[in-house]
This record gives sequence, C-alpha cells and structure tokens, in this order.
Amino acid sequence: MSKGEKCSCGDDEKGLLERLEEIIVSFKNKPGALIPVLQATQSLFGYVPQEAILKISEMLNEPLHKVHGVITFYSFFSLKPRGKYLIRVCLGTACYVQGANEILTALKQQLSIEIGETTTDKLFTLDVGRCFGACGLAPIIMVNDDVHQFVKPSGVKKILGAYKKHKAVNQEEET
Amino acid sequence: MQININNKSFSAQEGETVLDVAKRNGIYIPTLCYHVKTGQAAKCRACVVAVEGMRGYQTACNLSVREGMNINTEGKEVKEAQRMVVDLMLSSGYHNCLACDRSGSCELQDACYHLGIEKTTFSDHPTGRKDESSEFIVIDYDKCIKCGRCVAACNHSVVNEVLGFGFRGLETTIMCDDDIPMGDSTCVQCGECVQLCPTGALTDKKSRGKGRFLEFEKVDTTCPYCGVGCQLTLHVDRAKNKVVRVTGREVWPNNGMLCVKGRYGFEFHDSPKRLQYPMIKKNGKHERATWDEALDLIAEKIKTTVAKHGPDVFSALGSGRITNENNYAVQKFTRAVIKTNNVDHCARTCHAPTVAGLAHAFGSGAATNSIDEILETDLIFVIGSNMTEAHPVASYYVKRAAQNGSKLIVCDPRRVDIAHWSDLYVPLRVGTDVPFLNGLMNEILKNGWQDEEFMKNNTENPEDIKKWIQDYPVEKASEISGVPVEQMKQVAKMLGEAKKVSVIYCLGITEHTTGTDNVKTIANLQMILGHLGKRGCGVNPLRGQNNVQGACDMGALPNVFHNYQSCMDEKAILKIEKDWGVTGLSRTEGYKLPTMLHKATQGETKILFCVGDNTVQTEPNTAKTIKEVESLEFLVVVDIFPNMTTEYADVILPDVCFNEDDGTYSNLDRRVQFLRKAVDHPGEAKPTWWIMQELGKRLGVDLKFTSANATWEDMRRSGTIMGGITYERIQHLGLQWPCPTVQHPGTPILHMNGKFTRGKGLFSHTNYRTQAELPDKDYPFILSTGRRLWHYHTGTQTRNSVGLENIFPEELLEISPVDAKKMKVKTGDMVKATSRRGTITLKAWVTDRSPEGVTWCAFHFREAHANVLTIDAYDDVTETPEYKACAIKIEKVREGVEVVNRGFRQARP
Repeated sequence: MSKGEKCSCGDDEKGLLERLEEIIVSFKNKPGALIPVLQATQSLFGYVPQEAILKISEMLNEPLHKVHGVITFYSFFSLKPRGKYLIRVCLGTACYVQGANEILTALKQQLSIEIGETTTDKLFTLDVGRCFGACGLAPIIMVNDDVHQFVKPSGVKKILGAYKKHKAVNQEEET
Repeated sequence: MQININNKSFSAQEGETVLDVAKRNGIYIPTLCYHVKTGQAAKCRACVVAVEGMRGYQTACNLSVREGMNINTEGKEVKEAQRMVVDLMLSSGYHNCLACDRSGSCELQDACYHLGIEKTTFSDHPTGRKDESSEFIVIDYDKCIKCGRCVAACNHSVVNEVLGFGFRGLETTIMCDDDIPMGDSTCVQCGECVQLCPTGALTDKKSRGKGRFLEFEKVDTTCPYCGVGCQLTLHVDRAKNKVVRVTGREVWPNNGMLCVKGRYGFEFHDSPKRLQYPMIKKNGKHERATWDEALDLIAEKIKTTVAKHGPDVFSALGSGRITNENNYAVQKFTRAVIKTNNVDHCARTCHAPTVAGLAHAFGSGAATNSIDEILETDLIFVIGSNMTEAHPVASYYVKRAAQNGSKLIVCDPRRVDIAHWSDLYVPLRVGTDVPFLNGLMNEILKNGWQDEEFMKNNTENPEDIKKWIQDYPVEKASEISGVPVEQMKQVAKMLGEAKKVSVIYCLGITEHTTGTDNVKTIANLQMILGHLGKRGCGVNPLRGQNNVQGACDMGALPNVFHNYQSCMDEKAILKIEKDWGVTGLSRTEGYKLPTMLHKATQGETKILFCVGDNTVQTEPNTAKTIKEVESLEFLVVVDIFPNMTTEYADVILPDVCFNEDDGTYSNLDRRVQFLRKAVDHPGEAKPTWWIMQELGKRLGVDLKFTSANATWEDMRRSGTIMGGITYERIQHLGLQWPCPTVQHPGTPILHMNGKFTRGKGLFSHTNYRTQAELPDKDYPFILSTGRRLWHYHTGTQTRNSVGLENIFPEELLEISPVDAKKMKVKTGDMVKATSRRGTITLKAWVTDRSPEGVTWCAFHFREAHANVLTIDAYDDVTETPEYKACAIKIEKVREGVEVVNRGFRQARP
C-alpha cells in the first residue's frame, strides 16, 4: 500500500498512523509493550510500514534495531503489505511426507507468485510454516484463520475459488 | 582453591571461570564470543572443554571454577569438538585472510592456527555482502561469525543502540537500525564495535590496506580532544612518520571506548597545512624566518616595550589544548621574566565559574569525584550538558548507568540527545538555572529530604541558607523557569529520596552572566543533600578541553601560581621567588582574558603572547575581538595551524602537537595522564617550553626548561597538590591530584567524609538575574551555542582530519519546528542569522531539539561561526562570556534541498 492509497478499512495511512499513536500511548510505560504494539500495527496496516517502525521506536523509546529485530524474527510480522488472505502451507515433517511440497507448487502455479509474494489483485499472499500442530490432518494449509485439512494439489483451485467468490460476494454487499 | 587443567594444578579464585584461569596460565582455549567487556555469552561454543563428572562438553567462558575440578582442554576428542565448531564457523561466509587488515590480530585466525585448521572442510558460502556506506567503518558480512560482541558493545558498552541482530535462523545478521546501511543510520561511528570485533567483519576504513596490526609500533598516549582524557594507543608507521590507526586502551578512564574524534580524527598531525616554520609579518604578509630572527625580534620588542611602559602592557595566554608543561612554561615566563600576572587561558571562556564557584563553596575548584563512579550512583542529575556530543565517552557511562537502573534526570532548554535515555527530561528556560535549583532546594527542605547531619557538621551556615531559601517557593521558581510545579516537585522528590546523587554539569551552567552563581547554586544543592565526599556522588563539571583542568592546575590564571598558590599571598610568593631564583614577582592580580583584550583598545595591553588559543574565533562578538586584536602593538601566536588569529599575528611560531613531544594532560576528574612522543614534528616546529626557555634566555633569565620532564620537575619542586606526581609514576596509569608526595596514591574523591578543602562547606545566596540580552520585537529569538560531536572547537584539528567534514560539512542553525513553520523554513534552507553584533548565513536544521523561540549553532566553522553573533557580556566574577544566550533575528535567504530528519537519536539531520 503506497502513501495515500486507501486500505481495506477505509482509512488512509495517515489516519492509521494517528490510530497507531493512540495505541502506543495506551501501552506506554508498560513493560513488554513492543510485541503487542507490533501485533496491533500488523492488524491495523496488514503489515508494518517503515513510518510505523520509526514511530514505535520513538514513542516507546526502543532502539530501531530492536523493533526491526523483533519484526524480522517473528513470521507473524511482515515488512511488506500482505494480501487480504494469507495462505500458509505447512512444510512440517508430517505434512511434507504427505505431499505438502506438491500443494505448494500447485499454489505457486495457480497464483503465479513465489513464497513471500502477493498477487497483483492484493488478494493472496503465499507463505510457508513449519508445523501448525495438526499433524493428524496432514497435509494442511491455513488461509488466515481457516484450517484446510487433507488437502490435495487438485483441490487447491477449489479452495482459492471459494475465497475469490467470498470477496465478490462481499463487494456486492458493499455496493 | 586449586583446580586441575590437563593434569596440572592451578590456583583459582571463587567467581573465576575456567577460561580466566586458563588464560592467566597461558593455556590457549579458542574463544570468540566472550570479551571481558561484553560478558559471557557462551554462544559460539568454540571454548568447549571436558570436565570430569560432567556430561558432554562445557563452555569454559561461563563455567565457574570449583575446588578440585578436573578439566581437559587438550584431549583428542575435546580438540575435535573445538575444531568442528570453528570449522563450521569458517564455512559461514567467506573467511579469507590474505588481504584482511585484521590478519595477525584476528581471534578466528588464532583459533584456526591453534587448532591446525587450514581451511574449512565444508564449503564456503560467500555472499560478497559489504557495507562501505559509513565514513569510518566497513562491515564485511562474509567475515561475520555472529558472535554478538559488536551488538553487545553498541548496546551495553557505549549504549549507542544502533547495531542489533535481525532475521532468524541461517539468515540472522547484524544490522544497523532497521536494516539500513550503516552510513545512513544513527551510528555515531565511535568504533567500539570495530575494537571488539574478533574477526575482520568490522574494520576501520581509513587504515584499510595501510598495514596490519603487527606491522606498527604501538604508542600509548592520551587523547587530544575533550576533557575525558581517554587513553589510546597510536599505531605508528615509523618509516612514514604517520599514525595509521587508533585504538582505545582498556584502562580507566575510558576502558577502551572512544568517540569518533578520538578514534578517527588523528590525521591532523601530518596535515600539509601545519605551521612548520616561524613567520614574521613584513609589509602585511607573513614571511618565513629563522627561529633566531623570530625570537630575537620578540625579545627585543618585549624589552623595549616593557622598559618604556612597565610589565603590565604584556599579557600571555596559555591554553587548555597544550600540555601542563607548556602551560607552566608560559606562566613562569610571564611571572618570572616579565614580572606581571597577566596570564590567562581559555578556561576563562568556559569553566572559570566552576573554579571560582566551587573554590568558594568547597575550597577546591575541580570535579569532586571520578568518571567511573557514575556507574555506582543512584541518580544522575545532568544539567546544562550536551554530553553525547561534547563528552561522548562520559555519556557512555551515564547511559550505561541509566540502562542498569540508575535514575537519570536531564535539565536543559534543548532536548539534547542524552535526554532520550533519561527518566525525566526537564526543559527549563534559558538562563533560569538559579531560580530552578533554588526552587528544588526549597521543596527539598520543606519536605525534610535534606541531610541534616551533613549540613550541621560539615557546613558553615546551614541555618542561614534554610531561612534564605524561603524566598524561592517552588511556584515562584516554576514561573521563572517555565518548568511546571508538578515536575519540579517530582525532581525534588527524586533528588531528596535518592541515596547517592551525582550532579554533572557543563557549559550550560557556566557560560552565563550568572555563571559563578549557577555553580554556587549547584554546590548549595549537593551540600543540602549531603552528597559530597563519598563514592558515586559529588559535583562533577565536565571540563571541556583535553587539558583545561591542567592549564588551571599549572597557574595559567591571573590570580594563582601553579597548584592554585595565590599570587597575592606573600608566603607563597616568597617560596616561589626562592625556588625560581628571581625577585620582584608582581603582587597584584593580573588581567583576565577579556580585560587583556579590552585594554588593548585603550593602549594598556601592547603585547599579547598567545599560545594555542584561536582568540578571534572563540571570543564573543568577533567584530569587537578583531578591533581589539588589531589595536595590539605586537601579537605573537604559537599554534599548530594557521587560523583566524594567526592572520593578525606579527610573529607566528610553529608548535608541536600532542604526539610530537612527551608531556602530561590533566583530565576532568583531575587525573594527570601521560602522553608520549610518537612521531616527529613537521618542519621546524618546537615545543612551547623550548620557546619560553629561549625567550627567557634572551631576556636574561634561565627558566631551566631543558625537556618536558625537566619543566615538569621544575613545577613539582614548588608544587603542592601535584608535588608527588612524577613521569615514572604515570607511565601506565594516571594519578588524580591532590597527590602531594611521591608515596601518595592520589585522590579519586575530594572532600572525603565531608571534610572540605576549606574546612566547612559554605552556602551562598544566589539570586535570579536575567540574561544580558533578552529577545525583543527586533531580535525575537534566543541564540544558544555549543559543540557538535563531529567537530572540535575552531575545527583546526577536526577539519584537517579526513572524514569528519564529510559527515558534517557546514554549520547548521537549529530551529524549532514551531518557529520554522511560522517562517516557512525547512531543513536545508539557507537563513541569515543577525544579532546586534553581526550576521552569518547558514543552513537551517528544523529539529525539536530546540524549543520554540530558541535557536542554536556552534563555532566550529569560521565561514559561519556563532561568535559573530554572541554577546560580549560577562559573568561579573570571572568574566566568562554569556555564550549561551543572546538575541537574534532570522531571515530566510533561499530555498534549499529538503533534508529529512530520520531517527531521533542522532547528532545530525
């Protein structure tokens, strides 16, 4: 999302930064504020923009490297804008032996993106994870908070279609 | 206790680690992530050893010794384990020593050498990633082993908090700020990371390719910049007569840490611009002369002028930049040969109020405690000090103390960078220190937070001050200082309840027309709180220059001989006359620096002998100073570079600089430290003591200065508080005065147990007086002045050293965002700043360091320096000028390229 562009919640980025400031103020002087503030930032913007890093560093009086170090350590945080739907393919051992890699290949083909990238329509971001703790259901993928179990490469198209449709329905509702 | 390493018994002490004992006994254990300053990390695993009765391998760096422990560091399996760790490290990145500056001083190379590793048995993973964006530091990521020493150094040693670890797993990397190039980051380039890096990952850019560590002669000496007096090692290329690299010595006062100037601002010594030959002004032009011609001319001029008009038409200036020996030489010459007390130096422009104020209150005009004690204090109260820029290494200790839990209060009209580490930042109005501090004392006494015992036993007039301070209720103080009542009460409470308070101040206190009163008020505060004469407390002025303390100690002052022996005290005079073998020393106090200059316009000062003082650029109101200097009959300047003052000189004499002669400096905590000759001087430069000796000879007095050491010994013979300090004693470590006998261990803390030098402490009444020139309709802004991290005083050293000027190439006028908005000025625009005394044109820096109505700039750049604008109004006791406040107006001249302030902890936009 570039400067001035509308984001999904209808605020422009400047407005979001103001809201971020309010959030930081509410966490100020609380120990361990950095991670909750970053979580709020990630939810607010869909990623952690550089302006937010500077703001958080200054307002929480934390060194810039610490803020950036935490962001890049946890896969939950992203420095780049993510799509509306974050697809995470489990590449843990159980999923892997059940063919997770083929699922990943199928997703890459279907979406025409690589790991970490976002589709041009900003709908999907592709990512991988290492074991979501549901090995009995392997192979699994997660789309935002939804878990899809026993996924087959051939079933990928259907799953994606459902989310595309969901978006279309939503847009109809909005208009 | 006894422990066994490889079946040999060694004695060890409780709390030691296996690595400590092994190191002490010459047993090599590879170690990479551990450094005594960054502490135990136990992450590189290179130091694994086998311990009987313990499973697996143990890391020696964090393994505490136990009685009877059996340790094996040499067994085949142990070595194999160590070898595997180092082998894996070698396979990360690309470790090729062939063209590496650190070859021969690399701990990874040492490990490979000792373990017999020629190359990794795995494959290299070169990325070619290098960061050369910084002016002074190169990061070669291929040589980084992620030991974390640089990160620990940056965050916990110097506490600049720039370097960190980013990303995870195999991608883990060190990074600056939010993973931006080092040169764009908030890095202040102190080089502590370079000093602690065990490999060639972080190296000094300017010494790259000029030779490896082992090729140079190492000369231990003292830093020639600020008053902290950092100990450093010069790496000297003897054949080229050049300093190639500077490293910090791991001893007090700096413990290896340096700042950008100390570590990277060293090339000035062999700048082609150095003065190399005596010059005599003929027909308005300086022409090369021989020493004999120059000295004969000066001697003749002095002889005839003094014979005709008396000795008081002669004045001399020593300097806070030159050695103790040279200051002593200047004052002895002035007093013993000319027979006048007209000798002074640049402490007049900075800390003279400290000397006067503290001598009045305590009997001794110097810092009471040592720098290292900052780490032991509970509350650090910093007032009027931009220490991260002016005394960077002292600020590292303050920041570290704050990080370790000491409370830090910063009071300053400007939001100076140290405020970012403070618990409480108190923005008071410019020049309101007296009422602000009085208000605090009122509140402290009202709540019974004072140290009643200390006041009763150790001060002269406790009841008097209690009664008098009632005139300053906190509400009144708040109204004057602009600090909210609640905040004042909070500060008072923090001060009152802390067990140990150390007050640190600098020129924000002294450079006012009320400078001496400001200092006395600080003394009052600490006497009320009883935080004097014990560890971790005290009144600690940060003396500005490398040897401004020493210049005072040496008697380059119009009222005292060396070691503060009064020039009006007949007993002292007789003693010194006898020792010097002269009679008829002047019994009247000499002129202070501003008076010397002022008298020039009245024809009462005819000759000024100026050593190491760029008077024209450093005195306030340059236009006036020029007029004064022009009215002198004869001006002699001894210096290392041509500067604004040499232009007016009738004779210029070339001086040697800090690494061209032996000598001593006294630092801000009264530590007399040694400096050594490391290189040969350029051309025909001579030390000042030699010049004074030669002049003395021509005027009929043998001053007995045959060497720096002989000069020091001459001082010591009639000295008091420094009488016990000899060159032999300070070869390795400095000694803090008072040190009256050669057996005396030196005095880290003055007034121990509240026994003041003057007997009992004396409270003073200090009342609020406004600054000399208040802003008005025509000149609506206050201009305050000071120093920048990247430069030093009139820039003769820093602007003649490669790199510093690339970082900070021109002076900037700091303007608050509020004022900038009103004037439609942005960072980078050219503005004209005008006071009633002059105009300078410079770039604007819009920054919230400055509060509304206050602007700020320094005097480093002769092209646009603050002293064109500053006011020639002086402290009434010491004649210290009010550099910290005058009134100016600002006009925008033209638009500039917009520069965005990035980050918030940095000394530049």
